[in-house]
Amino acid sequence: MVSPTEQLLLALMIGVIMLGMGSSLTWRDFRRSFKRPQAILIGFASQYLLMPLIGFILAITLQLPPPVAVGLILIASMPGGSTSNIFTYFSKGDLALSVTMTTFSTLAAFVMTPLALFIYASRFITSEIAVGMGSVISGLVVILIPVLIGMAVRRRNANIGAVFELIGGILGVVIILALIALWVPRNAGLLATTPWQVYFAAISIGALGFLFGFITSYLAGLGFRRAATVSLETGIQNGPLALSIVLLSFTGAIADEIVLIPVLYSLFIVIISSFVTIFYRRQNNRLQQRFVALL
Amino acid sequence: MTTEINDPTDVRPTSIPTAPALNALPARNLAELVAQTCARYAQQPAFTAVLPNGMFGNLNFEQVARLSDQVAAYLRGGLGLAAGDRVAVQLPNSLAYPLWAFGTLKAGCVLVNMNPLYTVPEMAHQLNDSGARALIIVDLFADKLPAVLEQTKIEHVILVRITDLFPSLIGFIAHNIMKYWNRIIPEVSVPVTTGTAALAQGANLIRDRKADVASYTAQTTANDLAALQYTGGTTGVSKGAMLSHGNLLANVAQIEERVAGEVIHGKETALAVLPLYHIFAFTANLLYFFHAGARNILVASPRPLANLQRAFENYPISWVPGVNTLFNGLLNEEWFADYPPPLLKGSIAGGTALYAAVAERWQRVTNSPVIEGYGLTESSPVVTLNPFRTSRPGSIGQPVAGTEVRLLNVFGEPVAAGESGELAVRGPQVMHGYWQRPDETAKVLTDGWLLTGDIAEYEADGFLRIVDRKKDLIIVSGFNVYPNEVEDCIAKLSGVSEVAVIGIPDSKAGELVKAYVVPKAGETITAEQVREHCRQSLTGYKVPKLVELRDELPKTNVGKVLRRALRDEEQHKAAQSTQRASGGSRG
Repeated sequence: MVSPTEQLLLALMIGVIMLGMGSSLTWRDFRRSFKRPQAILIGFASQYLLMPLIGFILAITLQLPPPVAVGLILIASMPGGSTSNIFTYFSKGDLALSVTMTTFSTLAAFVMTPLALFIYASRFITSEIAVGMGSVISGLVVILIPVLIGMAVRRRNANIGAVFELIGGILGVVIILALIALWVPRNAGLLATTPWQVYFAAISIGALGFLFGFITSYLAGLGFRRAATVSLETGIQNGPLALSIVLLSFTGAIADEIVLIPVLYSLFIVIISSFVTIFYRRQNNRLQQRFVALL
Repeated sequence: MTTEINDPTDVRPTSIPTAPALNALPARNLAELVAQTCARYAQQPAFTAVLPNGMFGNLNFEQVARLSDQVAAYLRGGLGLAAGDRVAVQLPNSLAYPLWAFGTLKAGCVLVNMNPLYTVPEMAHQLNDSGARALIIVDLFADKLPAVLEQTKIEHVILVRITDLFPSLIGFIAHNIMKYWNRIIPEVSVPVTTGTAALAQGANLIRDRKADVASYTAQTTANDLAALQYTGGTTGVSKGAMLSHGNLLANVAQIEERVAGEVIHGKETALAVLPLYHIFAFTANLLYFFHAGARNILVASPRPLANLQRAFENYPISWVPGVNTLFNGLLNEEWFADYPPPLLKGSIAGGTALYAAVAERWQRVTNSPVIEGYGLTESSPVVTLNPFRTSRPGSIGQPVAGTEVRLLNVFGEPVAAGESGELAVRGPQVMHGYWQRPDETAKVLTDGWLLTGDIAEYEADGFLRIVDRKKDLIIVSGFNVYPNEVEDCIAKLSGVSEVAVIGIPDSKAGELVKAYVVPKAGETITAEQVREHCRQSLTGYKVPKLVELRDELPKTNVGKVLRRALRDEEQHKAAQSTQRASGGSRG
């Protein structure tokens, strides 16, 4: 599906973007996240309790074929990925909270993802699904190391940090557009043959994640900015990790079927996230204090 | 003027300590003050401009000395200005500001500070009234130039960028973000000289020994005019308060006397987020903290307040001159309240009343005091300031060194002990009068006594408290709004029969501008039409936040609109609702 060279290139670009994201952060931002652990906890809950349940309910109501249903539940049980950090950055959300949530959910994935799969997917499939340690860890490294470097750079020289941040941001937009542009022609055949239920499931899982992630955290009193951050973190799953898990655990026709929703999800989530991000960004801008006439 | 007069009509309670005499001025004139300060702190950072994304540019004291010399050489040698010529500087807080302000003073010219957000009519009035020959303007507002130049006698326009003097790559990037992404830099359609070119020309003149900067102010004394600082005063007509070198130097010394021992020379970092063109930040940041060898952190726009986050995160800010709205706003920013600046020693509040609740919360959150002072444009500005260690909430403190204060009744006579009266001030910081307006000057200045228009009273131990304002002045976030000006503007809108403008208390801005509009019979106008019309010719803070359309206005029996009745109405309404905002602010 994606060649090793492309994978490396992608990882490299994500690395540069995360370097830019890191350049916008300080230790204080992370300490502030830990000052309000309820945001992290709610994020955790909506990611591993809410999402798999939504996936399961969707699979049942849409009467998806078992392998497709497994793909759906798998994507619903994934931790967050770097994409959620990028969109949080663009939405002017709480980036430190997003990175913290991604880190926690990724580390927890060793336990929580198999657990969620065991609870919801075992009625669709009997065989074991292995969560590869390597791909989980490497995914985290690609996020955390550049973030730490970015933070250090900014601390040393705010001008270089700001330039990194700018480059990361521009590259972030480029990569979002490139992902959509490259994905569609490659999977044109797939798009044409996929039944509507699968489309519906692949789109809904992300959209419902955004919606319920937001509602839960807003009701919990996190305030708009953090609720939006948790929302993005909940809806945006680590798609590439889901793909690698499928390829690691299955082969042949069944793998093609299971991988269907993770692949479709990876396309649509970028599109939906872009719209949701524009909305959150507007609101976050609006909620800022702009007091009158001191210039 | 530094000695206490023995006045038989002085009725202050005997326990009131008289202000100490003022020590000698720190320098002969402001040019000398700048030169001496720069020589003393040479390589230390003097100014750092911080953009919202954290990009910054630095100037050390040696650079400030050299570059402001270049400005002076350019103004005199390059443009051929003469001593005493007016130079209008219309810049937001940026590295260019201190260079052009100091350069103007070093040239022996008179600095005319101008709000960059002014509309064309406001600019034209100030430029024509002051007779400015040169205008230094920021590129962000260059779109106003064609119209302004048509209506004024400005001979030279120097166009400055916010990012001028930043490291070149950073400046290039930041400029292009503003130009192509934010699109806030308009095209320039009139001939201008860029700030960079002006500096280069000045440098050449100095190098070729065609300009001797020191000679420009060799004869300048404390009595010579340094700045025309425009203000509506208490009557609303925008006029230039004539501040001499001595006025401003005295105020620097007066602030120094009050915070001596707290501000460690050469070791402090002061936040300059209030605009330097305003007298408060001009004297506090640009003159006082600069003179104290502090590093001034310049922030061009505090809107949104999140723009200040990088400044607070990246620099060891130890002093914050501010206004009530700024302190309150910062306390409401989570990033600020979570990690208040750890090295903050103190903050100075002025411009408008500091609410006791805000002062207490500020002290609690930042673990440092905010001390309130009082002043006016006409007094350079500081008249009173609380003592640093024993600051009293709700009080404006005691007169600063060399300053006499009296409370007068409506006949201009001192009031009896314990009574409130109009605050009158005499001291070395009081202006010489309004520029070319003897009539206006006569209204407020007699025998060196300046009538402030504010009603004050003494507490038992000599602390002063402002109790009311004599005039109808509205203060929005520390900025004076004159009802007459806004009413004049609204009255020009077709369909308007009558209009009255008052200030109503607001927990955030102190006061809000509210307009009552009576439409002409048979015509309909909307509140939004009124606001839109105001936006055409008034700066943002003057535009009424609230517009009420009604059939008639309360009037006296001679037909004069009673603003007081409208205020009483509002007060009555406020009293009925449970949420009551406290009033009481001043200029």
